[in-house]
Amino acid sequence: MPRLSDPRFTPDCTIVVDGRAVPARAGEPIATALLSAGRPLLARSHKYHRPRGPFCLAGSCQSCLVRVGGQPNVRACRTACAEGLVVETQHALPTAGHDLLGLIDLATPDGLDHHHLGTSSVLLNRAVVAFSRRLAGLGRLPDAACPPPATPREERFDALVIGAGPAGLGAAEVLAGGGCRVLLADSEPRAGGRLRCRLDLPGEPPLALASRVEGSLLATGGELMLDAAVLGLWLDGGAVLALVHQRGAAERLRLVRPARVLLCAGGTAVPAGIEDGDRPGILWGRGLAVALAEHGTVPGRRLAVLGCGVEAEALAARFTAAGMSVARLDSARRALGRARVRALDDGHGGQLPCDTVAVVQPPAPATDLARLLGAPVAFDASARAFAVLADAAGRTAVPGLFAAGEVTGAMDAAAALEAGRRAGEAARG
Amino acid sequence: MGKTLLCGCEDVSLEEVHRAFAAGHRDMESVKRYTGFGTGPCQGKSCLTLVARELLRLGATPGEIAPFTARPPREPTPLSTLAALDPATLPVGAEGIPPEAPPSPPGPAALQPLPARAEVVIIGGGILGLSLAYELARRGRSDVLVLDQSYLNAGASGRNGGGVRAQWSTPEMVKLALRSLALCRRFAVDLGINVWFRPGGYLFLAPDRAQVARLERNAALHVRHGMRTRLLTPNQALEVVPHLDPSRFVAASWNPDDGVVFPWPFLWGYATQAEALGVKVRTFARVTGLRREGARLSHVETDRGLVACDLVINAAGAWSKQVAALAGVATPNRPTRHEILVGEPLEPFLDPLVSLLGTGLYFSQSQRGELVGGMGDPDEPEGVSQGSSLRFLARFARAATQLMPRLGGVKVVRQWAGCYDVTPDNNPILGPAGYANFHQLHGFVGHGFMMAPAMAELYADWLTGRGKHELFDRFSLARFSRQGAAVGEDFIIG
Repeated sequence: MPRLSDPRFTPDCTIVVDGRAVPARAGEPIATALLSAGRPLLARSHKYHRPRGPFCLAGSCQSCLVRVGGQPNVRACRTACAEGLVVETQHALPTAGHDLLGLIDLATPDGLDHHHLGTSSVLLNRAVVAFSRRLAGLGRLPDAACPPPATPREERFDALVIGAGPAGLGAAEVLAGGGCRVLLADSEPRAGGRLRCRLDLPGEPPLALASRVEGSLLATGGELMLDAAVLGLWLDGGAVLALVHQRGAAERLRLVRPARVLLCAGGTAVPAGIEDGDRPGILWGRGLAVALAEHGTVPGRRLAVLGCGVEAEALAARFTAAGMSVARLDSARRALGRARVRALDDGHGGQLPCDTVAVVQPPAPATDLARLLGAPVAFDASARAFAVLADAAGRTAVPGLFAAGEVTGAMDAAAALEAGRRAGEAARG
Repeated sequence: MGKTLLCGCEDVSLEEVHRAFAAGHRDMESVKRYTGFGTGPCQGKSCLTLVARELLRLGATPGEIAPFTARPPREPTPLSTLAALDPATLPVGAEGIPPEAPPSPPGPAALQPLPARAEVVIIGGGILGLSLAYELARRGRSDVLVLDQSYLNAGASGRNGGGVRAQWSTPEMVKLALRSLALCRRFAVDLGINVWFRPGGYLFLAPDRAQVARLERNAALHVRHGMRTRLLTPNQALEVVPHLDPSRFVAASWNPDDGVVFPWPFLWGYATQAEALGVKVRTFARVTGLRREGARLSHVETDRGLVACDLVINAAGAWSKQVAALAGVATPNRPTRHEILVGEPLEPFLDPLVSLLGTGLYFSQSQRGELVGGMGDPDEPEGVSQGSSLRFLARFARAATQLMPRLGGVKVVRQWAGCYDVTPDNNPILGPAGYANFHQLHGFVGHGFMMAPAMAELYADWLTGRGKHELFDRFSLARFSRQGAAVGEDFIIG
């Protein structure tokens, strides 16, 4: 059963992947269409030519790069299917399924020391340089460049809220309620952040919060911008200049001068970090949950949920209800399988057969935009991740920059919503 | 045996991080450079946490695991998209650019102590300082201490495009560069580490007749020095780089023997081999003063203690003016920020480094397949800053996609900046200044990286009594107080 049997998810178009037709639902990401079709293998990895497939399903990990319509290195999890869309897998000789260069991986069990490869003679070194050059690169030069979108003019907003998860929604609602004109930008195609997982965790606010907040934003001249990546924050004489990229068919750039910035960008998926934990079929739990809820994606028959806590349990229940055979494992030592995961080794002599793994652990706070502005971050010893330093009201050390929610450390959605509201109030002044 | 990958973009395994740490690359910026983790399309979003956890496990200090500098754009973005920005509306340099935060020091526990005394103290662990230390040690003078205020590669030596060319406009520079090219070809074998020297050539494009006249003059000079430089028509240039827009230039100059290297290992190679010969290289040691005793400098003061010495070499690049000032010596250097970016890795499509004269635009494709390109900004004010600007992204995107429209689809992964150490005549400042034992080795105006290997040999010869090259008189600090002493170098790019 590749998809939930629901008319909303029934395939209505065909994409062409390496010359083969794959059924898809128009508008769903290429990555979920391929997972539903039982194809988690998308490419070969950069250096070792290891089998590679989607992991985070949320735009951050870049492990699902394919060639689409003549453009290389396009994220399959961020590109919508349409009738006849031509998708090519990359970086394999000849195909991702059978790649001769996979020998590089097998021949280097301890990894490759590229610094000291072939340095014993000038002739050998020349050969190594020439050979490695031939193997370089992911994908070929684009067939043609797209014309640039329109030149953006500067726009002013009272606040730029980055991330429309619980924290960002809370902050935006408070700011809009105080009469501020808010631009709420999210890189995902829908608002809600982790609420889109529909795990109904205890105390979690409902996803309907997103449409309520959008309504209040519009009432004060604000906007909710989706599929919109904040490419950078720069300082200009003490004020922030933000560049926002609207992806997709209506591509455009926006140059925004907000009076204040609220960073509610949540966290990014953290790979399993176990031996062979990069095998296709091993995916980020939250990404899988969103794919199931929004695209009916059932990625296989046997799911291993790797992780513990309420989120792991809720995820296991969701996929059990979707018809998968689900087992949960607190930790694992290594993944077995090559082109696709086939089992997890629990490190105690036991093997858990599976064709899909959902990695459930707290995401790593998305600190990069804060770091661009020089806001301090610290390594949280208990969460074992970096987080943006902010006080209880969300103030960072950078004037005008506030941070709330998972970007400041692990917390549940209800706490993130509250933190967002507090930051909104502090920012409103 | 499987692999535990910490960085999926660049396939960096646990073992590779362990090897880097064991080889002394302990802080996050250095581990990033040595292993390549975090340099791929995701820019560390997935791997930074895993690597920090592993470094802590290995014994790194909290200071050492501080995240590496975040750099825009946050997502790979096509040049054609960035070309939509109008550079004229974007803030120019100086106050517009937040200075890049200095890396946090690792903490005393992780640092090796400074010696109380060294015969030679070299201030600046960039390529000039390290190559000189290595060449001095090879000539038997190994009581040398190299000090750097940060990690190796934090300055311009780790921030440049890696171009090495012999196409210069004065005989001095041509000769130095030819020697450097010869050393680059052997570097991996002589210094034991790959620098991925790839002789893809340099293609200079002249947009007008005045620039053609420069190229013709230079080509004649090059041929006199045995180089294969030749002038090409636009159509001939298309045979070298097929996707150029031939309406953007009227002629080109092509030397197939120029090339590009990967800059970082150059420093590691020189540092490692110099240390093997007895040199001490100390990072995260900032020079705070130069103590004088009569007509000589007696000690170098640092934030980690005092070092007595016989000879001080100022090889501090963009910071050399500040270092000279510590001894009360005024130099005319004007450090100026230059920006550069790198694109997604693509299969080879561009062999040479391409430079459009008169615009500051240049780009090449690295050994790993990334587009690497920069563009100087005539409006950039003087000052030491390594921060990044949005204006540069816009200027580069427009200029590069005009010259080579196919580049429009190439996505930018990361931008950064370094400083050119500019002098009034675009030539270096060498030899003693102010004090007989205070030597200058700076002012290379963006080409110190490619000149260093050859320059270090000449300098070490002189300092070890093997003869003084005439360059050291020609390029003394005193020349700026004489009239018409040195012919200016006018073939600076970027």
